[in-house]
Amino acid sequence: MEQARLDWGAILALAPVTLVLGLLFCGALGLAIGQSLGFAPWYGINTFPDFSHFARLWSAPAFWAGLGLTLYYGVVSTLMALVLGVGLALALRKSFAGRRLFDHVYKLPLMIPYGVAIALAVLLLGNGGIASRLLAWVGVISDPAQFPRLINTHAGWGIMAVYVWKQTPFITLAVAAVLAGMGRQTQEAAAVLGAGRVRIFWEITLPQILPGLVSAALICLAFNLGAFEAPFILGGGYPDTLPVMAWRAFNDADYGRQLEGTAIALSIALVAGALLLLSLMAYRALERRHGRV
Amino acid sequence: MAGSERLSPLQRFYLLALAALILGPFLPLIIQSFAFRWDWPNLLPSEWWLTARERARLPLGWDYVLSPYSRVWEATLNTLGIGLGATALSLVLCLPAARVLARRRFAGKAGFELFLALPLLLPEMAIGIPLLLIYIRLGLAGSHLGIVIAHLIPTIPYMIRMLTAVYQGLDRQLEEQARVLGASGWQVFRLITLPLLLPGVVAGCLFTFLVSTNVFLLTFLLGQGRILTLPTLLFSKIGGGQLDATAAGLALLMSVPGLMLLLFFERFVRQEALVAGQGD
Repeated sequence: MEQARLDWGAILALAPVTLVLGLLFCGALGLAIGQSLGFAPWYGINTFPDFSHFARLWSAPAFWAGLGLTLYYGVVSTLMALVLGVGLALALRKSFAGRRLFDHVYKLPLMIPYGVAIALAVLLLGNGGIASRLLAWVGVISDPAQFPRLINTHAGWGIMAVYVWKQTPFITLAVAAVLAGMGRQTQEAAAVLGAGRVRIFWEITLPQILPGLVSAALICLAFNLGAFEAPFILGGGYPDTLPVMAWRAFNDADYGRQLEGTAIALSIALVAGALLLLSLMAYRALERRHGRV
Repeated sequence: MAGSERLSPLQRFYLLALAALILGPFLPLIIQSFAFRWDWPNLLPSEWWLTARERARLPLGWDYVLSPYSRVWEATLNTLGIGLGATALSLVLCLPAARVLARRRFAGKAGFELFLALPLLLPEMAIGIPLLLIYIRLGLAGSHLGIVIAHLIPTIPYMIRMLTAVYQGLDRQLEEQARVLGASGWQVFRLITLPLLLPGVVAGCLFTFLVSTNVFLLTFLLGQGRILTLPTLLFSKIGGGQLDATAAGLALLMSVPGLMLLLFFERFVRQEALVAGQGD
Protein backbone atom coordinates (compact mmCIF):
# COMPACT_ATOMS: atom_id res chain seq x y z
CA MET A 1 0.00 0.00 0.00
CA GLU A 2 1.43 3.31 -1.05
CA GLN A 3 0.37 6.93 -1.05
CA ALA A 4 -3.11 8.21 -0.21
CA ARG A 5 -3.33 10.50 -3.25
CA LEU A 6 -3.66 9.02 -6.69
CA ASP A 7 -1.38 10.18 -9.49
CA TRP A 8 -2.61 10.62 -13.05
CA GLY A 9 -1.43 7.16 -14.06
CA ALA A 10 -3.60 5.52 -11.42
CA ILE A 11 -6.59 7.69 -12.27
CA LEU A 12 -6.15 6.80 -15.93
CA ALA A 13 -6.09 3.10 -14.98
CA LEU A 14 -9.34 3.37 -13.00
CA ALA A 15 -11.10 5.54 -15.57
CA PRO A 16 -12.20 3.04 -18.28
CA VAL A 17 -14.09 0.64 -16.02
CA THR A 18 -15.58 3.56 -14.08
CA LEU A 19 -16.77 5.28 -17.25
CA VAL A 20 -18.32 2.16 -18.76
CA LEU A 21 -20.21 1.15 -15.61
CA GLY A 22 -21.10 4.77 -14.84
CA LEU A 23 -22.47 5.46 -18.31
CA LEU A 24 -24.44 2.23 -18.42
CA PHE A 25 -25.88 2.75 -14.93
CA CYS A 26 -26.39 6.50 -14.71
CA GLY A 27 -27.43 6.86 -18.35
CA ALA A 28 -29.94 4.04 -18.09
CA LEU A 29 -31.39 5.08 -14.74
CA GLY A 30 -31.50 8.76 -15.72
CA LEU A 31 -33.38 8.07 -18.93
CA ALA A 32 -35.70 5.67 -17.09
CA ILE A 33 -36.51 8.25 -14.42
CA GLY A 34 -37.17 10.86 -17.11
CA GLN A 35 -39.41 8.54 -19.10
CA SER A 36 -41.40 7.32 -16.12
CA LEU A 37 -42.03 10.99 -15.24
CA GLY A 38 -43.57 11.59 -18.66
CA PHE A 39 -40.55 12.54 -20.79
CA ALA A 40 -40.92 10.41 -23.93
CA PRO A 41 -40.93 12.77 -26.91
CA TRP A 42 -40.06 9.87 -29.25
CA TYR A 43 -43.55 8.49 -28.63
CA GLY A 44 -45.04 11.97 -28.89
CA ILE A 45 -45.42 12.17 -25.12
CA ASN A 46 -43.86 14.97 -23.10
CA THR A 47 -45.62 15.84 -19.89
CA PHE A 48 -42.51 16.10 -17.69
CA PRO A 49 -42.61 16.26 -14.70
CA ASP A 50 -45.67 14.09 -14.36
CA PHE A 51 -46.02 11.85 -11.33
CA SER A 52 -49.32 10.39 -12.49
CA HIS A 53 -47.72 7.15 -13.77
CA PHE A 54 -46.27 6.41 -10.37
CA ALA A 55 -49.47 7.55 -8.65
CA ARG A 56 -51.60 5.29 -10.84
CA LEU A 57 -49.20 2.38 -10.43
CA TRP A 58 -48.88 2.71 -6.67
CA SER A 59 -52.63 3.02 -6.15
CA ALA A 60 -53.35 -0.24 -8.03
CA PRO A 61 -53.95 -3.24 -5.73
CA ALA A 62 -52.24 -5.53 -8.29
CA PHE A 63 -48.97 -3.61 -7.79
CA TRP A 64 -49.03 -4.24 -4.04
CA ALA A 65 -49.99 -7.87 -4.54
CA GLY A 66 -47.07 -8.21 -6.95
CA LEU A 67 -44.72 -6.47 -4.55
CA GLY A 68 -45.86 -8.79 -1.76
CA LEU A 69 -45.18 -11.87 -3.88
CA THR A 70 -41.80 -10.55 -5.03
CA LEU A 71 -40.72 -9.88 -1.44
CA TYR A 72 -42.14 -13.19 -0.20
CA TYR A 73 -40.29 -15.32 -2.77
CA GLY A 74 -37.12 -13.23 -2.46
CA VAL A 75 -36.85 -12.97 1.31
CA VAL A 76 -38.00 -16.49 2.24
CA SER A 77 -35.66 -18.18 -0.24
CA THR A 78 -32.72 -16.01 0.83
CA LEU A 79 -33.32 -16.97 4.48
CA MET A 80 -33.59 -20.66 3.59
CA ALA A 81 -30.36 -20.50 1.56
CA LEU A 82 -28.68 -18.73 4.50
CA VAL A 83 -29.58 -21.48 6.98
CA LEU A 84 -28.73 -24.32 4.60
CA GLY A 85 -25.54 -22.64 3.40
CA VAL A 86 -24.18 -21.90 6.88
CA GLY A 87 -24.99 -25.47 7.97
CA LEU A 88 -23.02 -26.77 5.00
CA ALA A 89 -20.06 -24.45 5.63
CA LEU A 90 -19.86 -25.60 9.26
CA ALA A 91 -19.91 -29.26 8.20
CA LEU A 92 -17.20 -28.59 5.62
CA ARG A 93 -14.75 -27.59 8.38
CA LYS A 94 -14.50 -31.23 9.33
CA SER A 95 -12.61 -33.93 7.52
CA PHE A 96 -14.46 -36.88 6.02
CA ALA A 97 -14.07 -39.53 3.35
CA GLY A 98 -14.93 -38.24 -0.11
CA ARG A 99 -14.19 -34.67 0.84
CA ARG A 100 -12.56 -33.75 -2.48
CA LEU A 101 -15.45 -35.17 -4.48
CA PHE A 102 -18.01 -33.41 -2.33
CA ASP A 103 -16.19 -30.09 -2.77
CA HIS A 104 -16.91 -30.41 -6.49
CA VAL A 105 -20.48 -31.64 -6.07
CA TYR A 106 -21.74 -28.87 -3.83
CA LYS A 107 -20.50 -26.11 -6.15
CA LEU A 108 -22.29 -27.56 -9.17
CA PRO A 109 -25.52 -25.48 -8.86
CA LEU A 110 -23.41 -22.31 -8.85
CA MET A 111 -22.02 -23.17 -12.27
CA ILE A 112 -25.32 -24.17 -13.89
CA PRO A 113 -27.51 -21.54 -15.61
CA TYR A 114 -30.79 -20.61 -13.93
CA GLY A 115 -32.65 -21.89 -16.99
CA VAL A 116 -31.35 -25.40 -16.36
CA ALA A 117 -32.38 -25.21 -12.71
CA ILE A 118 -35.86 -24.17 -13.85
CA ALA A 119 -35.97 -27.04 -16.33
CA LEU A 120 -35.14 -29.41 -13.47
CA ALA A 121 -37.95 -27.92 -11.37
CA VAL A 122 -40.44 -28.37 -14.23
CA LEU A 123 -39.35 -31.98 -14.67
CA LEU A 124 -39.40 -32.84 -10.98
CA LEU A 125 -42.11 -30.79 -9.34
CA GLY A 126 -44.85 -30.55 -11.97
CA ASN A 127 -48.09 -32.45 -11.50
CA GLY A 128 -46.95 -35.10 -13.99
CA GLY A 129 -43.36 -34.81 -12.80
CA ILE A 130 -40.94 -37.23 -11.22
CA ALA A 131 -41.95 -36.42 -7.64
CA SER A 132 -45.59 -37.23 -8.35
CA ARG A 133 -44.58 -40.45 -10.17
CA LEU A 134 -42.54 -41.51 -7.14
CA LEU A 135 -45.53 -40.87 -4.88
CA ALA A 136 -47.70 -42.93 -7.23
CA TRP A 137 -45.08 -45.68 -7.23
CA VAL A 138 -45.22 -45.99 -3.45
CA GLY A 139 -49.00 -45.82 -3.65
CA VAL A 140 -49.72 -42.48 -1.99
CA ILE A 141 -51.56 -41.00 -4.99
CA SER A 142 -53.30 -42.62 -7.94
CA ASP A 143 -53.83 -39.59 -10.19
CA PRO A 144 -51.58 -36.65 -11.15
CA ALA A 145 -54.32 -34.26 -9.99
CA GLN A 146 -53.87 -35.51 -6.42
CA PHE A 147 -50.30 -34.24 -6.36
CA PRO A 148 -50.03 -30.93 -4.49
CA ARG A 149 -49.41 -27.95 -6.75
CA LEU A 150 -45.77 -26.95 -6.33
CA ILE A 151 -45.34 -24.97 -9.55
CA ASN A 152 -47.72 -22.50 -11.19
CA THR A 153 -49.07 -21.55 -7.80
CA HIS A 154 -48.74 -18.32 -5.86
CA ALA A 155 -47.30 -20.28 -2.94
CA GLY A 156 -44.19 -20.36 -5.15
CA TRP A 157 -42.59 -23.61 -3.93
CA GLY A 158 -40.99 -24.23 -7.33
CA ILE A 159 -39.63 -20.69 -7.64
CA MET A 160 -38.13 -20.76 -4.17
CA ALA A 161 -36.73 -24.27 -4.71
CA VAL A 162 -34.82 -22.94 -7.75
CA TYR A 163 -33.45 -19.93 -5.84
CA VAL A 164 -32.41 -22.03 -2.83
CA TRP A 165 -30.86 -24.76 -4.99
CA LYS A 166 -28.79 -22.20 -6.90
CA GLN A 167 -27.82 -19.93 -3.99
CA THR A 168 -27.02 -22.26 -1.08
CA PRO A 169 -23.51 -23.00 -2.47
CA PHE A 170 -22.94 -19.27 -2.94
CA ILE A 171 -23.65 -18.61 0.75
CA THR A 172 -21.49 -21.59 1.70
CA LEU A 173 -18.53 -20.30 -0.33
CA ALA A 174 -18.82 -16.87 1.26
CA VAL A 175 -18.84 -18.36 4.77
CA ALA A 176 -16.26 -21.09 4.10
CA ALA A 177 -13.73 -18.52 2.87
CA VAL A 178 -14.04 -16.60 6.16
CA LEU A 179 -14.07 -19.75 8.31
CA ALA A 180 -10.92 -21.06 6.64
CA GLY A 181 -9.08 -17.82 7.33
CA MET A 182 -10.03 -17.32 10.94
CA GLY A 183 -8.53 -20.29 12.79
CA ARG A 184 -10.22 -21.93 15.72
CA GLN A 185 -8.32 -20.75 18.77
CA THR A 186 -11.13 -18.56 20.14
CA GLN A 187 -13.64 -21.36 19.72
CA GLU A 188 -11.36 -23.88 21.38
CA ALA A 189 -10.71 -21.51 24.24
CA ALA A 190 -14.45 -21.05 24.70
CA ALA A 191 -14.96 -24.82 24.61
CA VAL A 192 -12.25 -25.33 27.23
CA LEU A 193 -13.97 -22.73 29.41
CA GLY A 194 -17.15 -24.79 29.22
CA ALA A 195 -19.23 -23.11 26.51
CA GLY A 196 -21.63 -25.43 24.69
CA ARG A 197 -21.66 -25.88 20.95
CA VAL A 198 -24.76 -23.73 20.41
CA ARG A 199 -23.33 -20.93 22.51
CA ILE A 200 -20.00 -21.06 20.67
CA PHE A 201 -21.85 -20.73 17.36
CA TRP A 202 -23.98 -17.75 18.43
CA GLU A 203 -21.36 -15.86 20.38
CA ILE A 204 -18.12 -16.61 18.55
CA THR A 205 -18.56 -18.09 15.10
CA LEU A 206 -21.59 -16.10 13.92
CA PRO A 207 -20.18 -12.63 14.73
CA GLN A 208 -17.04 -13.53 12.77
CA ILE A 209 -18.83 -14.76 9.66
CA LEU A 210 -21.52 -12.06 9.81
CA PRO A 211 -19.96 -9.51 7.40
CA GLY A 212 -19.50 -12.12 4.67
CA LEU A 213 -22.94 -13.54 5.39
CA VAL A 214 -24.65 -10.16 5.11
CA SER A 215 -23.05 -9.26 1.78
CA ALA A 216 -23.70 -12.70 0.27
CA ALA A 217 -27.33 -12.59 1.44
CA LEU A 218 -27.82 -9.11 -0.02
CA ILE A 219 -26.48 -10.26 -3.39
CA CYS A 220 -28.90 -13.21 -3.37
CA LEU A 221 -31.80 -11.00 -2.28
CA ALA A 222 -31.12 -8.41 -4.99
CA PHE A 223 -31.04 -11.16 -7.57
CA ASN A 224 -34.27 -12.73 -6.35
CA LEU A 225 -36.11 -9.40 -6.36
CA GLY A 226 -35.18 -8.75 -9.99
CA ALA A 227 -35.44 -12.29 -11.35
CA PHE A 228 -37.76 -12.81 -14.29
CA GLU A 229 -37.27 -16.33 -15.62
CA ALA A 230 -38.27 -18.42 -12.59
CA PRO A 231 -41.47 -16.51 -11.66
CA PHE A 232 -42.47 -16.28 -15.33
CA ILE A 233 -42.20 -20.02 -15.95
CA LEU A 234 -42.98 -21.42 -12.49
CA GLY A 235 -45.24 -18.66 -11.13
CA GLY A 236 -48.98 -18.69 -10.57
CA GLY A 237 -50.00 -16.04 -13.12
CA TYR A 238 -51.86 -12.81 -12.30
CA PRO A 239 -50.93 -11.10 -10.00
CA ASP A 240 -47.34 -11.55 -11.18
CA THR A 241 -44.12 -10.60 -9.42
CA LEU A 242 -42.91 -7.09 -10.21
CA PRO A 243 -40.26 -8.09 -12.79
CA VAL A 244 -42.80 -10.16 -14.74
CA MET A 245 -45.32 -7.34 -14.44
CA ALA A 246 -42.74 -4.85 -15.74
CA TRP A 247 -41.91 -7.05 -18.71
CA ARG A 248 -45.57 -7.59 -19.61
CA ALA A 249 -46.28 -3.86 -19.46
CA PHE A 250 -43.16 -3.03 -21.45
CA ASN A 251 -43.91 -5.59 -24.16
CA ASP A 252 -47.55 -4.58 -24.50
CA ALA A 253 -48.70 -3.76 -28.02
CA ASP A 254 -49.74 -0.38 -26.60
CA TYR A 255 -46.54 1.69 -26.57
CA GLY A 256 -47.99 3.96 -23.89
CA ARG A 257 -47.66 1.11 -21.40
CA GLN A 258 -43.87 1.25 -21.74
CA LEU A 259 -43.99 4.15 -19.30
CA GLU A 260 -45.78 1.94 -16.81
CA GLY A 261 -43.21 -0.82 -17.36
CA THR A 262 -40.40 1.64 -16.72
CA ALA A 263 -42.13 2.86 -13.56
CA ILE A 264 -42.39 -0.73 -12.30
CA ALA A 265 -38.70 -1.36 -13.06
CA LEU A 266 -37.79 1.76 -11.09
CA SER A 267 -40.05 0.66 -8.24
CA ILE A 268 -38.04 -2.59 -8.08
CA ALA A 269 -34.85 -0.53 -7.88
CA LEU A 270 -36.39 1.60 -5.11
CA VAL A 271 -37.48 -1.44 -3.09
CA ALA A 272 -34.11 -3.15 -3.53
CA GLY A 273 -32.25 0.05 -2.61
CA ALA A 274 -34.41 0.56 0.50
CA LEU A 275 -33.92 -3.05 1.63
CA LEU A 276 -30.18 -2.75 1.04
CA LEU A 277 -29.97 0.43 3.10
CA LEU A 278 -32.12 -1.01 5.89
CA SER A 279 -30.00 -4.15 6.16
CA LEU A 280 -26.78 -2.17 6.17
CA MET A 281 -28.15 0.12 8.89
CA ALA A 282 -29.32 -2.85 10.96
CA TYR A 283 -25.92 -4.45 10.51
CA ARG A 284 -24.12 -1.26 11.59
CA ALA A 285 -26.37 -0.96 14.65
CA LEU A 286 -25.58 -4.55 15.58
CA GLU A 287 -21.86 -3.95 15.20
CA ARG A 288 -22.08 -0.86 17.36
CA ARG A 289 -23.96 -2.77 20.05
CA HIS A 290 -21.13 -5.25 20.13
CA GLY A 291 -18.74 -2.33 20.34
CA ARG A 292 -16.91 -3.22 17.17
CA VAL A 293 -17.23 0.06 15.27
CA MET B 1 -6.04 -28.80 14.64
CA ALA B 2 -8.67 -27.55 12.23
CA GLY B 3 -10.33 -30.17 10.09
CA SER B 4 -9.54 -33.12 12.34
CA GLU B 5 -12.96 -33.28 13.96
CA ARG B 6 -15.41 -35.92 12.74
CA LEU B 7 -18.83 -35.24 11.26
CA SER B 8 -21.77 -35.75 13.55
CA PRO B 9 -24.39 -38.27 12.32
CA LEU B 10 -26.76 -35.38 11.58
CA GLN B 11 -24.13 -33.62 9.49
CA ARG B 12 -23.34 -36.82 7.62
CA PHE B 13 -27.04 -37.18 6.78
CA TYR B 14 -27.19 -33.51 5.76
CA LEU B 15 -24.26 -33.80 3.36
CA LEU B 16 -25.69 -36.96 1.79
CA ALA B 17 -29.10 -35.31 1.40
CA LEU B 18 -27.55 -32.25 -0.25
CA ALA B 19 -25.50 -34.36 -2.65
CA ALA B 20 -28.68 -36.28 -3.56
CA LEU B 21 -30.67 -33.07 -4.08
CA ILE B 22 -27.91 -31.56 -6.25
CA LEU B 23 -27.09 -34.59 -8.41
CA GLY B 24 -30.39 -36.49 -8.25
CA PRO B 25 -32.41 -34.19 -10.55
CA PHE B 26 -29.95 -34.73 -13.40
CA LEU B 27 -30.85 -38.42 -13.67
CA PRO B 28 -34.44 -37.81 -14.87
CA LEU B 29 -33.11 -34.99 -17.07
CA ILE B 30 -30.80 -37.46 -18.83
CA ILE B 31 -33.62 -40.02 -19.12
CA GLN B 32 -35.99 -37.36 -20.48
CA SER B 33 -33.47 -36.37 -23.15
CA PHE B 34 -33.56 -39.96 -24.50
CA ALA B 35 -37.30 -40.44 -24.10
CA PHE B 36 -39.95 -40.41 -26.81
CA ARG B 37 -43.09 -41.33 -24.86
CA TRP B 38 -43.07 -41.16 -21.08
CA ASP B 39 -46.59 -41.53 -19.65
CA TRP B 40 -47.60 -40.95 -16.06
CA PRO B 41 -47.00 -42.78 -13.68
CA ASN B 42 -44.17 -44.76 -15.33
CA LEU B 43 -40.73 -44.25 -13.84
CA LEU B 44 -39.13 -45.03 -17.20
CA PRO B 45 -40.23 -44.01 -20.73
CA SER B 46 -42.47 -46.45 -22.58
CA GLU B 47 -40.76 -45.62 -25.87
CA TRP B 48 -37.23 -44.36 -26.37
CA TRP B 49 -35.89 -41.90 -28.91
CA LEU B 50 -33.76 -44.57 -30.62
CA THR B 51 -36.76 -46.71 -31.59
CA ALA B 52 -38.90 -43.73 -32.57
CA ARG B 53 -36.36 -41.89 -34.72
CA GLU B 54 -36.65 -44.35 -37.62
CA ARG B 55 -40.27 -43.53 -38.39
CA ALA B 56 -40.09 -39.83 -37.51
CA ARG B 57 -39.89 -37.34 -40.36
CA LEU B 58 -38.40 -34.56 -38.25
CA PRO B 59 -35.21 -34.90 -36.20
CA LEU B 60 -36.08 -35.94 -32.64
CA GLY B 61 -34.32 -35.44 -29.33
CA TRP B 62 -30.56 -35.55 -29.64
CA ASP B 63 -30.82 -35.63 -33.45
CA TYR B 64 -32.32 -32.16 -33.23
CA VAL B 65 -29.95 -30.89 -30.55
CA LEU B 66 -26.86 -32.02 -32.45
CA SER B 67 -28.11 -31.23 -35.96
CA PRO B 68 -26.00 -28.61 -37.77
CA TYR B 69 -29.24 -27.16 -39.17
CA SER B 70 -31.08 -26.64 -35.87
CA ARG B 71 -31.17 -23.34 -34.05
CA VAL B 72 -29.03 -24.91 -31.29
CA TRP B 73 -25.97 -24.42 -33.49
CA GLU B 74 -26.74 -20.73 -34.08
CA ALA B 75 -27.40 -20.24 -30.36
CA THR B 76 -24.15 -21.98 -29.42
CA LEU B 77 -22.10 -19.82 -31.78
CA ASN B 78 -23.77 -16.66 -30.49
CA THR B 79 -23.24 -17.69 -26.86
CA LEU B 80 -19.55 -18.44 -27.42
CA GLY B 81 -18.95 -15.29 -29.48
CA ILE B 82 -20.68 -13.00 -27.02
CA GLY B 83 -18.88 -14.72 -24.12
CA LEU B 84 -15.49 -14.23 -25.78
CA GLY B 85 -16.22 -10.60 -26.63
CA ALA B 86 -17.50 -9.75 -23.16
CA THR B 87 -14.56 -11.53 -21.50
CA ALA B 88 -11.95 -9.77 -23.64
CA LEU B 89 -13.54 -6.36 -23.16
CA SER B 90 -13.97 -6.97 -19.44
CA LEU B 91 -10.30 -8.00 -19.14
CA VAL B 92 -9.05 -4.88 -20.93
CA LEU B 93 -11.20 -2.64 -18.73
CA CYS B 94 -10.45 -4.37 -15.44
CA LEU B 95 -6.74 -5.24 -15.63
CA PRO B 96 -5.35 -1.72 -15.10
CA ALA B 97 -7.97 -0.92 -12.48
CA ALA B 98 -7.26 -4.14 -10.56
CA ARG B 99 -3.56 -3.26 -10.40
CA VAL B 100 -4.35 0.06 -8.73
CA LEU B 101 -6.96 -1.47 -6.41
CA ALA B 102 -4.52 -4.13 -5.25
CA ARG B 103 -1.59 -1.80 -4.60
CA ARG B 104 -2.93 1.58 -3.59
CA ARG B 105 -4.84 2.89 -0.66
CA PHE B 106 -6.79 6.05 -1.46
CA ALA B 107 -9.61 8.17 -0.14
CA GLY B 108 -13.02 6.78 -1.15
CA LYS B 109 -11.64 3.36 -2.01
CA ALA B 110 -14.36 1.47 -0.14
CA GLY B 111 -17.03 3.50 -1.92
CA PHE B 112 -15.37 2.86 -5.27
CA GLU B 113 -15.30 -0.88 -4.61
CA LEU B 114 -18.99 -0.76 -3.70
CA PHE B 115 -19.65 1.01 -7.01
CA LEU B 116 -17.88 -1.80 -8.87
CA ALA B 117 -20.00 -4.36 -7.00
CA LEU B 118 -23.21 -2.45 -7.74
CA PRO B 119 -24.26 -4.69 -10.67
CA LEU B 120 -24.63 -7.53 -8.17
CA LEU B 121 -26.71 -5.45 -5.78
CA LEU B 122 -29.12 -3.94 -8.30
CA PRO B 123 -31.90 -6.28 -9.48
CA GLU B 124 -31.46 -7.31 -13.11
CA MET B 125 -34.90 -6.21 -14.27
CA ALA B 126 -34.40 -2.80 -12.66
CA ILE B 127 -31.35 -2.16 -14.84
CA GLY B 128 -32.52 -4.17 -17.86
CA ILE B 129 -35.54 -2.08 -18.80
CA PRO B 130 -33.78 1.31 -18.37
CA LEU B 131 -30.92 -0.05 -20.45
CA LEU B 132 -33.38 -1.13 -23.13
CA LEU B 133 -34.64 2.46 -23.35
CA ILE B 134 -31.11 3.68 -24.11
CA TYR B 135 -30.44 0.82 -26.51
CA ILE B 136 -33.57 1.62 -28.50
CA ARG B 137 -32.49 5.29 -28.74
CA LEU B 138 -28.94 4.38 -29.77
CA GLY B 139 -29.98 1.61 -32.14
CA LEU B 140 -28.04 -0.97 -30.12
CA ALA B 141 -31.08 -3.12 -29.32
CA GLY B 142 -30.91 -6.44 -31.12
CA SER B 143 -27.24 -6.06 -32.11
CA HIS B 144 -24.39 -8.34 -31.10
CA LEU B 145 -22.27 -5.37 -30.04
CA GLY B 146 -25.06 -4.18 -27.75
CA ILE B 147 -25.32 -7.59 -26.08
CA VAL B 148 -21.55 -7.80 -25.57
CA ILE B 149 -21.58 -4.37 -23.90
CA ALA B 150 -24.57 -5.34 -21.74
CA HIS B 151 -22.78 -8.50 -20.59
CA LEU B 152 -20.10 -6.26 -19.08
CA ILE B 153 -22.56 -5.42 -16.31
CA PRO B 154 -22.71 -8.87 -14.67
CA THR B 155 -19.11 -9.81 -15.60
CA ILE B 156 -17.14 -6.75 -14.39
CA PRO B 157 -17.74 -7.33 -10.65
CA TYR B 158 -16.33 -10.86 -10.86
CA MET B 159 -13.47 -9.99 -13.20
CA ILE B 160 -12.31 -7.04 -11.11
CA ARG B 161 -12.29 -9.06 -7.90
CA MET B 162 -10.48 -12.03 -9.37
CA LEU B 163 -7.83 -9.81 -10.98
CA THR B 164 -7.39 -7.74 -7.80
CA ALA B 165 -6.80 -10.98 -5.89
CA VAL B 166 -4.23 -12.01 -8.51
CA TYR B 167 -2.32 -8.73 -8.16
CA GLN B 168 -2.48 -8.95 -4.38
CA GLY B 169 -0.86 -12.39 -4.53
CA LEU B 170 1.96 -11.13 -6.73
CA ASP B 171 5.32 -10.84 -4.99
CA ARG B 172 6.48 -7.32 -5.84
CA GLN B 173 10.03 -7.98 -4.68
CA LEU B 174 10.66 -10.06 -7.78
CA GLU B 175 9.78 -7.06 -9.96
CA GLU B 176 11.98 -4.77 -7.90
CA GLN B 177 14.92 -7.16 -7.99
CA ALA B 178 14.67 -7.36 -11.77
CA ARG B 179 14.63 -3.58 -11.97
CA VAL B 180 17.64 -3.29 -9.65
CA LEU B 181 19.45 -5.75 -11.89
CA GLY B 182 18.89 -3.40 -14.81
CA ALA B 183 15.75 -4.69 -16.54
CA SER B 184 13.67 -2.13 -18.39
CA GLY B 185 9.99 -1.56 -17.54
CA TRP B 186 8.87 -3.61 -20.54
CA GLN B 187 11.30 -6.41 -19.73
CA VAL B 188 10.01 -6.57 -16.16
CA PHE B 189 6.44 -6.81 -17.39
CA ARG B 190 7.19 -9.40 -20.09
CA LEU B 191 9.58 -11.61 -18.12
CA ILE B 192 8.37 -11.29 -14.54
CA THR B 193 4.89 -9.80 -14.12
CA LEU B 194 3.12 -11.48 -17.03
CA PRO B 195 4.21 -15.08 -16.33
CA LEU B 196 3.31 -14.66 -12.66
CA LEU B 197 -0.08 -13.16 -13.45
CA LEU B 198 -1.05 -15.50 -16.24
CA PRO B 199 -2.64 -18.40 -14.29
CA GLY B 200 -4.83 -16.00 -12.33
CA VAL B 201 -5.79 -14.03 -15.42
CA VAL B 202 -6.75 -17.23 -17.25
CA ALA B 203 -8.87 -18.30 -14.27
CA GLY B 204 -10.57 -14.91 -14.17
CA CYS B 205 -11.31 -15.09 -17.89
CA LEU B 206 -12.71 -18.62 -17.67
CA PHE B 207 -15.04 -17.68 -14.84
CA THR B 208 -16.11 -14.45 -16.54
CA PHE B 209 -16.80 -16.41 -19.71
CA LEU B 210 -19.01 -18.79 -17.72
CA VAL B 211 -20.92 -15.89 -16.15
CA SER B 212 -21.54 -14.44 -19.61
CA THR B 213 -22.71 -17.75 -21.13
CA ASN B 214 -25.22 -18.10 -18.27
CA VAL B 215 -26.79 -14.63 -18.68
CA PHE B 216 -30.42 -14.78 -19.75
CA LEU B 217 -32.39 -11.66 -18.94
CA LEU B 218 -30.14 -8.98 -20.44
CA THR B 219 -29.79 -10.93 -23.70
CA PHE B 220 -33.52 -11.61 -23.77
CA LEU B 221 -34.52 -7.98 -23.12
CA LEU B 222 -31.89 -6.18 -25.16
CA GLY B 223 -31.68 -8.73 -27.97
CA GLN B 224 -35.32 -8.01 -28.84
CA GLY B 225 -35.73 -11.59 -30.03
CA ARG B 226 -33.04 -11.13 -32.68
CA ILE B 227 -30.09 -12.52 -30.72
CA LEU B 228 -30.50 -16.20 -29.98
CA THR B 229 -28.25 -17.65 -27.25
CA LEU B 230 -28.49 -20.97 -25.43
CA PRO B 231 -30.26 -19.45 -22.38
CA THR B 232 -32.84 -17.63 -24.55
CA LEU B 233 -33.37 -20.76 -26.67
CA LEU B 234 -33.98 -22.85 -23.55
CA PHE B 235 -36.40 -20.20 -22.30
CA SER B 236 -38.38 -20.34 -25.54
CA LYS B 237 -38.60 -24.13 -25.15
CA ILE B 238 -39.63 -24.33 -21.48
CA GLY B 239 -41.48 -21.01 -21.28
CA GLY B 240 -44.79 -22.84 -21.56
CA GLY B 241 -44.00 -24.99 -18.53
CA GLN B 242 -43.34 -28.19 -20.52
CA LEU B 243 -40.04 -30.00 -20.96
CA ASP B 244 -39.64 -32.27 -23.99
CA ALA B 245 -36.65 -34.38 -25.03
CA THR B 246 -35.06 -31.55 -27.04
CA ALA B 247 -35.32 -29.13 -24.13
CA ALA B 248 -33.80 -31.75 -21.82
CA GLY B 249 -30.93 -32.30 -24.27
CA LEU B 250 -30.41 -28.56 -24.53
CA ALA B 251 -30.37 -28.18 -20.74
CA LEU B 252 -27.73 -30.91 -20.51
CA LEU B 253 -25.67 -29.25 -23.25
CA MET B 254 -25.84 -25.97 -21.31
CA SER B 255 -24.55 -27.66 -18.16
CA VAL B 256 -21.33 -28.72 -19.89
CA PRO B 257 -19.30 -25.46 -19.62
CA GLY B 258 -19.94 -25.14 -15.88
CA LEU B 259 -19.17 -28.81 -15.33
CA MET B 260 -15.91 -28.52 -17.27
CA LEU B 261 -14.87 -25.46 -15.31
CA LEU B 262 -15.64 -27.28 -12.07
CA LEU B 263 -13.77 -30.45 -13.03
CA PHE B 264 -10.66 -29.03 -14.67
CA PHE B 265 -10.21 -25.53 -13.36
CA GLU B 266 -11.69 -25.64 -9.88
CA ARG B 267 -8.34 -25.02 -8.24
CA PHE B 268 -7.91 -21.84 -10.28
CA VAL B 269 -11.21 -20.35 -9.21
CA ARG B 270 -10.45 -18.40 -6.09
CA GLN B 271 -13.20 -18.73 -3.55
CA GLU B 272 -12.85 -15.26 -2.15
CA ALA B 273 -13.32 -13.72 -5.58
CA LEU B 274 -16.64 -15.45 -6.08
CA VAL B 275 -17.99 -13.54 -3.17
CA ALA B 276 -17.80 -9.99 -4.39
CA GLY B 277 -18.17 -6.97 -2.13
CA GLN B 278 -17.11 -8.64 1.07
CA GLY B 279 -16.00 -5.42 2.69
CA ASP B 280 -12.29 -6.04 3.02
